[in-house]
Amino acid sequence: MTPKIAIHGLDFYYGANHALKSITLDFPERQVSALIGPSGCGKSTLLRCLNRMYDLYPGQHATGEVMMDGMNVIGPGVDVDLLRSRVGMVFQKPTPFPMSIRENIAFGVRLHERPSRAEMEERVEWSLTRAALWDEVKDRLHTPATGLSGGQQQRLCIARTIAVRPEVILFDEPTSALDPISTLKVEELIDELKRDFTIAMVTHNMQQAARVADQVAFFYLGEMVEVASATTMFTAPREKRTQDYITGRFG
Amino acid sequence: MSFRRVLAVFAGILPASLVAVIVFLAVYSWPAVRFNGVGFVTSSTWNLGNTYGSPILRDGVQVLPGAHYGILFLVAGTLLSTLLALVIAVPVGVGAAIFLAEAVPGQLRLWLSFLVELLAAVPSVVFGLWGYAVLIPLLGHTIFPIMQRLLGFVPFLGGPTGSGYGLLTAGIVLSLMIVPLIAATLRDAILAEPMVVRESAAALGATKFETVWKVVLPGVRKILIGVTILATGRALGETMAVLMVSGNALNYLPPNIYSPISTMAAFIVSQLDSALQDPTGLAVRSLAEVALMLSVISVGVNTLARLVLYRAGLKDARV
Amino acid sequence: MSGAALTGEEAPFPQREAARLGRMRRRRMQSLLGWGLCALGFGLLAFAMGWILLLVLLRGISALTPKVFLEVTQGTGGGLLNAIEGTLLIGAGSMLLAVPLGVAAGMYAAQFKHSWFASAIRFMADVLVGVPSIVLGYFGYITMVEGLGWQFSLAAACITIAILCLPYICRTTELALSQVPAAMQEAAFALGAGEGRVAWRIALPVAMPGILTGVLLAFAISVGETAPLIYTAGWSSYLWNGQLVRSPVGYLTYAIWAFINEPFASANALAYAAALLVTLIVLLISIAARLVLLRRQGAR
Ligand SMILES: Nc1ncnc2c1ncn2[C@@H]1O[C@H](COP(=O)(O)OP(=O)(O)OP(=O)(O)O)[C@@H](O)[C@H]1O
Ligand SMILES: [Mg+2]
Repeated sequence: MTPKIAIHGLDFYYGANHALKSITLDFPERQVSALIGPSGCGKSTLLRCLNRMYDLYPGQHATGEVMMDGMNVIGPGVDVDLLRSRVGMVFQKPTPFPMSIRENIAFGVRLHERPSRAEMEERVEWSLTRAALWDEVKDRLHTPATGLSGGQQQRLCIARTIAVRPEVILFDEPTSALDPISTLKVEELIDELKRDFTIAMVTHNMQQAARVADQVAFFYLGEMVEVASATTMFTAPREKRTQDYITGRFG
Repeated sequence: MSFRRVLAVFAGILPASLVAVIVFLAVYSWPAVRFNGVGFVTSSTWNLGNTYGSPILRDGVQVLPGAHYGILFLVAGTLLSTLLALVIAVPVGVGAAIFLAEAVPGQLRLWLSFLVELLAAVPSVVFGLWGYAVLIPLLGHTIFPIMQRLLGFVPFLGGPTGSGYGLLTAGIVLSLMIVPLIAATLRDAILAEPMVVRESAAALGATKFETVWKVVLPGVRKILIGVTILATGRALGETMAVLMVSGNALNYLPPNIYSPISTMAAFIVSQLDSALQDPTGLAVRSLAEVALMLSVISVGVNTLARLVLYRAGLKDARV
Repeated sequence: MSGAALTGEEAPFPQREAARLGRMRRRRMQSLLGWGLCALGFGLLAFAMGWILLLVLLRGISALTPKVFLEVTQGTGGGLLNAIEGTLLIGAGSMLLAVPLGVAAGMYAAQFKHSWFASAIRFMADVLVGVPSIVLGYFGYITMVEGLGWQFSLAAACITIAILCLPYICRTTELALSQVPAAMQEAAFALGAGEGRVAWRIALPVAMPGILTGVLLAFAISVGETAPLIYTAGWSSYLWNGQLVRSPVGYLTYAIWAFINEPFASANALAYAAALLVTLIVLLISIAARLVLLRRQGAR
């Protein structure tokens, strides 16, 4: 099967800081790929290459290939805003927009489509249902999103992302700011979402990676050390560094 | 006495002077308040009466025969000029703030922001001078006639265009005086919005402008509301510039946007000399009533503005 | 609705992308328009600023003869020596009053920041800033000029302007003091220093640049004010005679306001010369204050 995203020889620079070194890695379609590794090894940086988030900052640039459906995502001439409608992202801390719950979702939809009122209602309900939030908020769609709990806010951010109907969703430590119950809900959600989306997720939690990921990639100091199926990775890693990390000897 | 007590005594002068201003104005204008009654704000006649007649006693107050004080025309002039100023200044200020915060890179931003800072520092009377020497001839001879010809069918935009002194001119000058406050405060608020909010909007495929306009700006709307109220207070009380460009109309309501007006603040300056002609002193006291009204309004408006800004987390709004 | 109705089935992928691409073009145009309008907003502001400066500079420089600095006003001609002197006197006099009182208020608000009185000072200062200056001028007129019989005088003018400047000095002092590291003051307390000693010996010196900036800005305000002076200072064509009361003083902003309306070229020239002087003083002070602030921000 051809992967949804195929990275080949990717280098990334924060100014002179060479943060990713010649990365080669595939993301299989409709699977969860987890990125693990010690703090500062470049996991977030890699995610931000996939939707060109680094474009917001002058001085940051990437070279190499990130192929998605035959297009080099980091190449010239890519419509970055359209790319981001195909590659959604959920951040570590929930970031509800300063508007109502409904508007939080409608905002992204309205950017790319002109749905009728009914279609919009449908989309709002659909995305909130998929994000396992509908039952909790259906009676207060018009209240400010900032009034939700942290866990609810994070699920709202997920709902908002899938409402745009991307093909890939990037999660950067989506549960590190959440309590255990909310964490569990989000994990179940990700597991559910992979039926329709290709998912890349950064996590510091080995159990989490083992629970939700199909494929796990281990990063160290800007290099990709090893990639394998989750089972292989956590039972029989090839590299010593990987083993040290997942058994908690450093990191 | 402890250090704290001594300090409190000196520090207390500031609040005390605000209280003193209002109390003295209230006490001094009290006879006028009693004599003028409600008619003060519902009629548009400011008439000292017969200054050669002998004073008569009415409502326990010595007054000149025929004296009547009504300032509806001033209230109208004040509110309308302020409204026009806001209609111009808010969009321009928002645009300038977005431009400065989002469109220009760091070093250039400092320099361009500086220009806004400078405009805020230009004294009122210099704005008046510019309005008088540049704006009035330009508007009166060229712009107003064109506006009237093109837009005359719109209510308040038709009719005689006058000489350039008037409501719209005052509104334009006032807007220039309050726009730096709006632009600078909003620019700082936009810059303080966290980057991760912008990233979240961008991650959904929003362009940079859509991000700023639909996500960042709603995030600072409380500050925008607060600073707009603050600017309203400034415009209501602005004196010299308005005095020099408004035409100082007396006793009539502006029929259109080009018409001469006067405002409460400007009227206090323009009328004191003639008010001194009233031997009963009632005219001077009625002017004090205007000042009292103006101070009560501005205290109210500023209190509201500060409450909104404090609640929006802006404790040290620029003064 | 099922989860399957997602990326693929509902709208075939290429068609959906084509629709989004078309919409993207329109959105780019809208965004461009938005940026254009914002730039226009700033452009208007900058244009007005430039125009005002240009007017004052061009007409002011051609009116600025040595006579302006050497002679007093005579009728509608002569120089501005009396007004320059008056403006400086009023500025200095009002600072003499406003600085100790304003700094005290700011110090109280900063050092005892959780007390109700500190909140009251802060709030009253913010409200006093918004009271129109003409109201303060009229207050000065009925209380001092009339009530105390001082007539138009330097004292009435200075007290009025001092009230006007108090809140600015208070707020900038408070801000400067609140940026003094708490640890520095706590260390002094730990050595047994009293509140007063800490405030004077530790906090005040550290905060001094910020406080001075505020005082400079307040001085600039006193130079630029007109309305509150018209009925407190009056106007005089003579140099100051040393009297605090019962003798009016001239000042630059009055010359702008009064002489621009005269039908004589000599009077108009004086108005522009005065405008140039006032604008230069005010803008130079603002620039200096801003540079000080920037330097300190850069240092941190
Ligand atoms: N804005 C930036 N400017 C310069 N260097 C940066 C920037 N952001 C990250 N870096 C550097 O790039 C490297 C990779 O950072 P990255 O954020 O990708 O790490 P990470 O693996 O996500 O770590 P964490 O687990 O802590 O989130 C780090 O060495 C970091 O110091
Ligand atoms: Mg990270």
